[in-house]
Amino acid sequence: MSGPGHHPAAAGRHVPPDLYGRPRADRAMRALAAVGDVLFPLVVRSGGRPGSRRHRSTPPPAPASALNLVVAGRGYVADDVVRLRLAAPDGAVLPAWRPGAHLELRLPSGRRRRYSLCGDPADRGVYQIAVRRVDGGGGGSVEVHDALPTGSRLAVGRPRNAFPFAGEPRVLFVAGGIGITPILPMAREAARLGLDWRLVYSGRGRASLPFTDELRGFGGRVEILSGGERGAPDAAGLLRRAPAGAAVYACGPPPMLDGIQAAFDASPASGLHVERFAPVPPPWDGRPFELRLARSGRVLPVPADRSVLDVLAEAVPTVAYSCRRGFCGICRQRVLAGAVDHRDHRLTDTERADGAMLVCVSRARAGESLVLDL
Amino acid sequence: MGTPATARAASTASTARAAATFEPDGLVLRPRDVRFDWSRLPTPWIPGEPVASHIINVLHLLLPEGERWFVRVFQRALPMITDDRVREDVLGFIGQEAIHAQAHQGALDHLRAGGPDPDPYLRQLEWFFHRVLGERPGLPPGRAREQVVEQVAIIAAVEHFTAFLGDWVLSADALDRAGADPVMLDLLRWHGAEEIEHRSVAYDLLRHLDPGYPRRIRSMMITGPILYWLWIRGARFLMAADPRLAGSRPGGPRRVESGRAFLAASRRGLLPAPGQAVRSGLRYLRRDYHPTQEGSARQAAAYLATSPAARAAAAR
Repeated sequence: MSGPGHHPAAAGRHVPPDLYGRPRADRAMRALAAVGDVLFPLVVRSGGRPGSRRHRSTPPPAPASALNLVVAGRGYVADDVVRLRLAAPDGAVLPAWRPGAHLELRLPSGRRRRYSLCGDPADRGVYQIAVRRVDGGGGGSVEVHDALPTGSRLAVGRPRNAFPFAGEPRVLFVAGGIGITPILPMAREAARLGLDWRLVYSGRGRASLPFTDELRGFGGRVEILSGGERGAPDAAGLLRRAPAGAAVYACGPPPMLDGIQAAFDASPASGLHVERFAPVPPPWDGRPFELRLARSGRVLPVPADRSVLDVLAEAVPTVAYSCRRGFCGICRQRVLAGAVDHRDHRLTDTERADGAMLVCVSRARAGESLVLDL
Repeated sequence: MGTPATARAASTASTARAAATFEPDGLVLRPRDVRFDWSRLPTPWIPGEPVASHIINVLHLLLPEGERWFVRVFQRALPMITDDRVREDVLGFIGQEAIHAQAHQGALDHLRAGGPDPDPYLRQLEWFFHRVLGERPGLPPGRAREQVVEQVAIIAAVEHFTAFLGDWVLSADALDRAGADPVMLDLLRWHGAEEIEHRSVAYDLLRHLDPGYPRRIRSMMITGPILYWLWIRGARFLMAADPRLAGSRPGGPRRVESGRAFLAASRRGLLPAPGQAVRSGLRYLRRDYHPTQEGSARQAAAYLATSPAARAAAAR
């Protein structure tokens, strides 16, 4: 698409033919080009003269993308679930957020982890998150539990929202375990707005489920299923609780969400919002190999558990990418040497034969290394 | 105190306050891996409404070329970004735009197979986006930067109208009542909802690169009229090539006839009202303008949760 070789002959100097087949160059296009040729030098001129400030683009000072916060309080809200209260050291008002938003914590080890905000958006002095300890996981939750006592400082990204609450008139919330965290502020908002809503919350045992006391305060709208010995509740059964035409908001363990997605079409609901905490899967069947950048001469090792894009983005921070799953085509690069194991579903055979590669998913074939035109 | 009137006023005020704080913000932008099956698309896809169908079909001609240009410009702007959040938004934006281009290209390929040959118009657009708006080689670095900022300003102006159109199509119940093809409606509304989702990105990038007011105004004064002109030109071109239309003739339909047909379809709610579009363009000129004032992210999120294409993409 935007790669080399896209500039066709039509994009050349010649004005294209008349729209209705009259034997002449198109007059309107010729006029547009003439106007463009007059305006263009005027518009870019100021950028060429050092010291000229009129009209010139002046970048503003970079705003702080991260907030420096302090752990203002912490306490256990269930077995293995700690709740942190984060505030500005001087007690300043924090950036606003809406239900479904999350924070990215930059932990002392350098790990970055995202946690849903579970407090009240109207409380502008404090962010609350709740984190379940997962021993044997990636280590982020253990670090939050063990290495962030009250008074610790840490950098936190501004709130972002990948699970916005649209406030539909009829709503079913489905939460599994710690997946309750983004749902809780939504339920409070649904109650405040007087929506027709229900919430079904499931987990292994009552002692492991946070926020059950607050949820019970909502009365009959909330159902808590904690029969851990019976295994995970079936998705079709959960969805049967939806009012006809309702929007479902689901957050919980991946098998629960997969089940809900599979059973959704047969349910009475009509809209499905899902929050998944692990958006980018690691490479499958990855083998380590070597990546060379032809123009800079750099050699970068690509480990088995990282993508070419991961490695490239560190070395060349301006590299473009978007979906990270091999379908949008933005991260396309040109391969000068080496056999590619293509894993995208975007490029055509011709594009692949021309040396195109989507670096977010594709890798070198076994025993090969790759040379990129970078 | 306590009279019904004051109680009602108080409750209206609190509803307004609730609505004002309700709009989700800071959305994470992700492209969605949508696919559309055009094999059962009727012509015209709004039954009995060939003019409205043609006018909306211009989008399938205009958008793939235009959105691919957006992606090229934003890729060149990436090294100029010094704010992580702006960069993150731009990366999400270009992926969404690339998928929009691909989706409309699919619809275009289908229309080409069954309808008039769109190539003369497409050749002109391609030339326009490369020769008139494209990168001009050989500029010194300062001017090359100015060129990218100017292109970003044009895109910010276009994105104002795509958000306007997205908001319109999400609420255009008349299309449902007219029995419009559900796959085409899903394409338009999925696209419209993503335009609302990312409505602030080009504007915020422009403000990041050049917070000044003059460039914003200048680029809208040029972009708005050209965008309308390109659209009308595309619509007349498609109508001229449709033998079923009374106004079809080799040099294009008569302006008066095609204009009347447009206004009639717009009055029936099948097309946006031209007056609203112009007023929307004027809002962009206000000093306190921000794209979040256009359309509703809530409505967009609600649609994406029900869209067959977006739901299938989420399950992939």
